[in-house]
Amino acid sequence: MKSFVTIKEGSATHWAIRLVVAAAIVWLAIRIPTVWEAGTISTAIDALTLMAAAMALNLVLGYAGQISIGHSAFLGIGAYTTGIMVSRWGFSPWLTFPVAFAVSFLLGVIVSFPAARIKGVYLALVTLALGLVFPQMMTWKKLAWLTGGGSGLPVSCPATGVSRTCPGTEVPTTGFNIGPAAKGQMETFEIFGWKPFGNLQRPDNKAAFYYWIAAIVAVVVYLCCRGVVKSRIGRSLIAIRDNETAAAVMGVNLVSTKAFIFGISAGLCALPGCVKAITTGGVSPEGLVSITVLGAITFLIVMVIGGAGSLWGPVIGAVLYVFINDKTGTWDKDEKIPGLFRPLLSWAEVAPADGIFALLLILLMFVAPRGLVGMWKQYSPLIVRVVPRPAGAGGAAIALATASADTTTTNEGDTQ
Amino acid sequence: MDLFLQRVIDGISQGSVYALIALGLVIIYRGTGHLNFAQGEMALFSTYCVYQFGEWGIPIWIALFLGMGVGFAIGALAEVTLVRPISKKSPFAVFVVTLGLFRLLNWLDGAIWGNQQLPNSGVGSKQKTFPDLFPAEPDDQFKFLGANIRWERVGVLVLVLVIGLLLYLLFNHTKFGLAMRAVASNSESAKLTGIRTHVVLMVSWGLAAAIGAVGGVVMGGLNNTVNLGLMFGIFIYGSAAATLGGFDSPGGAVVGGMAIGLIENLTSGYFSFIGQEMKLGVALLVIVGVLLFKPSGLFGTAKVERV
Repeated sequence: MKSFVTIKEGSATHWAIRLVVAAAIVWLAIRIPTVWEAGTISTAIDALTLMAAAMALNLVLGYAGQISIGHSAFLGIGAYTTGIMVSRWGFSPWLTFPVAFAVSFLLGVIVSFPAARIKGVYLALVTLALGLVFPQMMTWKKLAWLTGGGSGLPVSCPATGVSRTCPGTEVPTTGFNIGPAAKGQMETFEIFGWKPFGNLQRPDNKAAFYYWIAAIVAVVVYLCCRGVVKSRIGRSLIAIRDNETAAAVMGVNLVSTKAFIFGISAGLCALPGCVKAITTGGVSPEGLVSITVLGAITFLIVMVIGGAGSLWGPVIGAVLYVFINDKTGTWDKDEKIPGLFRPLLSWAEVAPADGIFALLLILLMFVAPRGLVGMWKQYSPLIVRVVPRPAGAGGAAIALATASADTTTTNEGDTQ
Repeated sequence: MDLFLQRVIDGISQGSVYALIALGLVIIYRGTGHLNFAQGEMALFSTYCVYQFGEWGIPIWIALFLGMGVGFAIGALAEVTLVRPISKKSPFAVFVVTLGLFRLLNWLDGAIWGNQQLPNSGVGSKQKTFPDLFPAEPDDQFKFLGANIRWERVGVLVLVLVIGLLLYLLFNHTKFGLAMRAVASNSESAKLTGIRTHVVLMVSWGLAAAIGAVGGVVMGGLNNTVNLGLMFGIFIYGSAAATLGGFDSPGGAVVGGMAIGLIENLTSGYFSFIGQEMKLGVALLVIVGVLLFKPSGLFGTAKVERV
């Protein structure tokens, strides 16, 4: 295949391109909270939590090939862990992240045991049922002492004077106590004497603070996924996905690998749940769509559109989803649409983003089953081709000796 | 005793709705081996259509048949345009397409009819409640061995049994049914003997969606409203029924549906801690239990896996 530009992997040009892309992402990440206002920053927070959840799902679905439509339950575990620990027992929100990870990890391992026997769409059915049962269980009146039943956990008890009693009035919400400056309220965030966000009672500063929490969680989830995928376990996962029997024959321990990957995926998926609980300040099935089964379907759609089984797929999918959702959110109101398209679009009574993405998902399955990233990998060689460095390039002597023999190594797709 | 009897009748009647969804799943599974995740939402779209026909003043029984026609069209169209071309790729692609259809149809219902409960006088509905197929006034009931039994419940049960009988006749006593069974047992050989398998599959999907439409209308009548979340739970109960009865057994689907309805009503009736919220948990347990210990269900044929 002819291509315009050919770049050698590891050459100066390749590194320069990588650096430019990385710098652009970092620049964008820093610019969003400093330039945007609170309302738009919350959109960015949505994108970050969605991409973290989709990345976690990607481990189980994209790499290990185990279909799950129940990851909303794990996100919900995270949200409820933060909610319960902070508003019932008065813990610091920071502490809830590791606890949520651990609780959700355990549940993921438990789910993996039936998953070791139930395969394919049947597993999808079981996880769909799990995703539907979870919000019901959280509103179960027998658990209301813990989860707050149908009304969920408090948004802000004493401040707004809602009749619900909050044990430990020092801690009125599920998030950080950023409210009117009363006793025990958090006014600023201080780290080693440095106050990066200033007065947190200003909405813009508060939004920036939350944004960075979400961003750090997204980066941590990405790095964990990358670590898992590039390791020996990652190879075992792909082997399981492609042929389970063959993988077992080659020495992959199916039960323990599945248990591990379900655990990690569930644990990581709980982290954006904590972020959701902190940023919205309240947890209930009605308030957080992401913990209902529609949320889980959104994770799946975002992940598949971005590219199942690729590290950047969920990131791209989530950014695209939130961007389109934001831009088309008011299409059901007339004014924002150009007059020409108004009759076409304004008939919808609800925001069109979910419909657009459902259609896009179906279409993409026909043209590019591996999502946008897969499409990029397929067509980008027409413009830019990255030639992989010969195997064993570390030791020059060996490389010279074998250069002619194996010039074909796997291109792992960091082709930015 | 009378309470027990009432719960049994209610359970079987409720279960017969699940049986309808399960029948749709089974018909599609027998034909193509796919689990149709959009089954519930196809039914929901038809149910909304029936509501709309009611708004236009069409009597409910005619509206029901029109709704079944809409369902048939959606099912057949989905098979021809989406499922058939994609099934050449991979089972995962089919799964994703049916899930995309699930989301698309649910969104479409919301886009056309809004996300509030219907009928709703606030949005200009002429109807007060969702049209009932059977008399459903508060005093439309009779005493039987001390139990108050509502005509509505009996009507639903009879309707489902009639549909089951018609399907039995279709499968076992018509030429088309023979073709369907041939495709189910071996699609390639069926094609070689001159059966038009693509027509059979198209009709199977249409039939499944039309039967689902009946389930949706019955459910709308029992609940008095139709809303966007109506079918989520029903779909899970229906799949639990299909799992229990065996995914390739229509008779199993009917029996499984009624069993699930009975289990649901009796457990939540006698173990009050389960409450309304955790009824669905019972269905989840049934699905997991059956898949773990007897994956072929009660009446299904066990699948031999080739390595």
